[in-house]
Amino acid sequence: MAPTLDPPWVLVEEGFTLAREHELESLFAIGNGYVGSRGSLAEGTALSAPATFVAGIFDSEAGSVPGLAPTADWTRLSTTIDSHALRLDHGHNLEHRRVLDMRQGILWREWRHQNAGGEITRLQMLRLASLADRHLLLQCTTITPENYNGRLSIDAALTGTATQVTGSGTTVAMAIASRVVDSAGRWMGSPQQVVGQLSLELRLGETYRLDRMVAVHTSRDTGEPREMAHRQVERAIEDVNGVIAEHRDAWLARWKASDLRIEGDPAAQRALHFAIYHLSSTANPEDGRVSIGARGLSGTAYKGHVFWDTDIFMLPFFILTYPEAARALVMYRYHTLSGARAKAARLGYRGALYAWESADTGEEMTPPFVVSPDGEIVRILTGEQEHHISADVAFGVWKYWEATGDERFLVDAGAEILIETARFWASRAEREDDGRYHIRGIIGPDEYHETVDDNAYTNGLAQWNLEVGEEVTRLVAERWPEQWRALSRRLGLEAEESRRWKQVARELYTGFDEQTGLFEQFRGYFGLEDIDLAAFAPRTAPMDVLLGRARIKRSKIIKQADVVMLVHLLWERLPPQIRKANFEYYEPRCGHGSSLSPAIHALVAARLGDAAMAERYFRQAAEIDLSDNMGNAAGGVHVGALGALWQAAVFGFAGLRFTDEGPEHRPNLPPGWRSLSMRFQWRGRWHEVVLPESGAERVGQ
Amino acid sequence: MSDAVILVPLDGSEQALVALPVAKVLAEIERAVLRIVHVGERKPAGAELLGRLRFEAPVLDGSTVEVRTGEPAAEILLATSEMNPRLIVMCTHTEAKPGKMLGRTATNVLRHAPCPVVLVPPGRGSIAWHLQHVLVPHDGTPTTSAALRPAAELAERANAELLVAHVTDVSAAPAEAGSLTTPLYVDQPQHEWPAWTREFVKRLACICPLDHLHVSVVLAHGNPAAETVRLAKKQSTDLLVLAWRGEWEVPHAATLKAILREARCPIMVVRA
Repeated sequence: MAPTLDPPWVLVEEGFTLAREHELESLFAIGNGYVGSRGSLAEGTALSAPATFVAGIFDSEAGSVPGLAPTADWTRLSTTIDSHALRLDHGHNLEHRRVLDMRQGILWREWRHQNAGGEITRLQMLRLASLADRHLLLQCTTITPENYNGRLSIDAALTGTATQVTGSGTTVAMAIASRVVDSAGRWMGSPQQVVGQLSLELRLGETYRLDRMVAVHTSRDTGEPREMAHRQVERAIEDVNGVIAEHRDAWLARWKASDLRIEGDPAAQRALHFAIYHLSSTANPEDGRVSIGARGLSGTAYKGHVFWDTDIFMLPFFILTYPEAARALVMYRYHTLSGARAKAARLGYRGALYAWESADTGEEMTPPFVVSPDGEIVRILTGEQEHHISADVAFGVWKYWEATGDERFLVDAGAEILIETARFWASRAEREDDGRYHIRGIIGPDEYHETVDDNAYTNGLAQWNLEVGEEVTRLVAERWPEQWRALSRRLGLEAEESRRWKQVARELYTGFDEQTGLFEQFRGYFGLEDIDLAAFAPRTAPMDVLLGRARIKRSKIIKQADVVMLVHLLWERLPPQIRKANFEYYEPRCGHGSSLSPAIHALVAARLGDAAMAERYFRQAAEIDLSDNMGNAAGGVHVGALGALWQAAVFGFAGLRFTDEGPEHRPNLPPGWRSLSMRFQWRGRWHEVVLPESGAERVGQ
Repeated sequence: MSDAVILVPLDGSEQALVALPVAKVLAEIERAVLRIVHVGERKPAGAELLGRLRFEAPVLDGSTVEVRTGEPAAEILLATSEMNPRLIVMCTHTEAKPGKMLGRTATNVLRHAPCPVVLVPPGRGSIAWHLQHVLVPHDGTPTTSAALRPAAELAERANAELLVAHVTDVSAAPAEAGSLTTPLYVDQPQHEWPAWTREFVKRLACICPLDHLHVSVVLAHGNPAAETVRLAKKQSTDLLVLAWRGEWEVPHAATLKAILREARCPIMVVRA
């Protein structure tokens, strides 16, 4: 077993820069959707923040909203040789390299260390979160004394308690078994459930391997999580090589389904592998009660909360390459429907208004205020006003249904989400004297402008949601009449109500101007101050920081794709000249204050045929985590932005789209890309795409 | 009282005396001996010395005065090598010229001193000085962190508040590995800003322990010198602590020079 050598498949960090540790821990995180661990150095440093998270396990401290709860740290390994600590900040590091092997889903580490006594030790470490059995974690450490015989002491006690109970009563149990094997693969001693201290005589040139197997179970999975974890780990430690091999095979299978291959641009290839690796590391097709937080399982930032990032930015990747995982994600929205209903009712509306920030229950988790870095206490209104989340959820559900034809999902869960969100919009929009319905007091994706009226994105998606809600009632009633009778009765839905949705959709104000072909982003937007963003380039800070909150609100500068996002999502509904006019108007006014924005601009620019602009935005998006140009990859990778990057390649450069006849491509590859190839699944069949092609484009099956 | 020394060069001008109140408080905080060095053309004695230095005998309580002859900066640096002081405290310049930044002697001492130098602007006068607010401007690079440890230690001993200002020129990210920039993307401010502040403080805490300190972090953007001077004024700063890479000739040290020109409070310069 060895690391992958092919550069587009690996992320390599040579040497050691203490200040970068937190961001590297995020980039090098391992995970399988059930459990994830940051890529912290086993022996620790002054800046190490090791953390392991189990998806969906939230807890809260007094006075704060619940956040993803770290479990005990199983990765810690404190080693001394003849009383000299093996640490990066002690002695001399002859070689040190960390390699995230994205192809095999393994974090490798190679290290040659010379201590103050002149003893040179070679170490190689492997860490994985098994994709074959999501309850297993493994860390293997090989130690070779290069120029000495000496005594090795290991302290591998867990940091934290093996069994934890959250405030809501969920038990998380971790069991550990360890063993040491010599060069010949012979066990040295018997495996121990928990290794505290361990001593070993090392002989020059011999290689010793410490295997550390961990099993994690929760009371959400089983009635006896502790016993289950112990039983499993005892079995698994007997066959470490088998665990590694099955994990590797699972990753290879995942890549076979989801790889996106680029020829001619190694940096873009590696960025896409990085995106697919982290997206795949966060998904669990076996659990529909959890979703993917904004930073996945790679860090504590954003508290593990689930935003529209999942439904709009990540979900398309899973729908087309991992529909089982996509199903789990849309089922999470079904399982949290009661929280959405409660929020709508609390605010005086009908149907389902999803939480802007959601955790395990679906209740609203958005913190009510923040202290800004200049000391100002800022009220946070997104939890109260950013309602497009409900249409985003519905959009994801419909796209899943369209791509998979998963009838059981639609009948058992999807239809209910679509109906309840449509019902929400019908109560949220109000008919006014002009004979049109309006949605007032809202925040769109452009969060620089709060409490606005008739945000074009919100109204556009609401209109779509109302139409699809009505459509699904007819569809289910026609094809599954028995189930429909039960559902409509349970929801108290009469035919008159769904017919009204169509009327509200038809009469909903959209902000569209027939003369210019532009959507006004919200009422009054066109009258705001125009500020030339180019005058601020280059810059390393977001525009709201540079101009201040008050000035930015009075300006046309927008935080992220808003009307452009609408153009992307409702592409097929808009004539080409409307798409182009709106992109050309809004793109120069976008400050890209959100990591979700550059990739969407790359996508739309590519579809509009502006290859140079598309490529520039694609590179900007690719650098968000990989070059840490924001100072905040420390808290975890930006999974939504990674999903958007994948979309830019697939829907932008490959030009993949779906019509009634099926998938088709209108490629817009950047000049340097010799080819793009990928696989995707559409309505149960795998399709293979190789672009560009000589002559007609090929969509093989 | 320990063996620690704080060295105060005085040239006999009234302006030079502004260093004394600052040096005396720092000596108390550091539990150090104040050693005054006067460099003249000849060595005066007794009362003549007091007259030349323009102060009364009680000022000397707990201090010593050493008189040397020769080129002032060279003699001060020679005394520095002999006394190994913890700090040098001196007036920035004693010639009253508008826009003056540093006198020739102070410049040479700053450029070649092996220890931190506290430079006191003459405009501060000889009024009493207290150390309650310490400001460290930081551009996010590991190099500028050099100022943090002495600032934190001083603040802790003085029971003063330490304010770390992340002051950056937003037109270019620092090239130094491990630099913490202002986040270019703030997806959700309610999460991003607390996370960024935590990360900044953690990186600082790696450099020196901050557990016993009242530490605040503030973000500023724009011209680093102008922002530092603005914040120093706004926060009633008693002492600015700046890291300096040690290069003085143009185009280097532009920020340091601008701050020295504009700031109204004492400035401690620490070599990075």
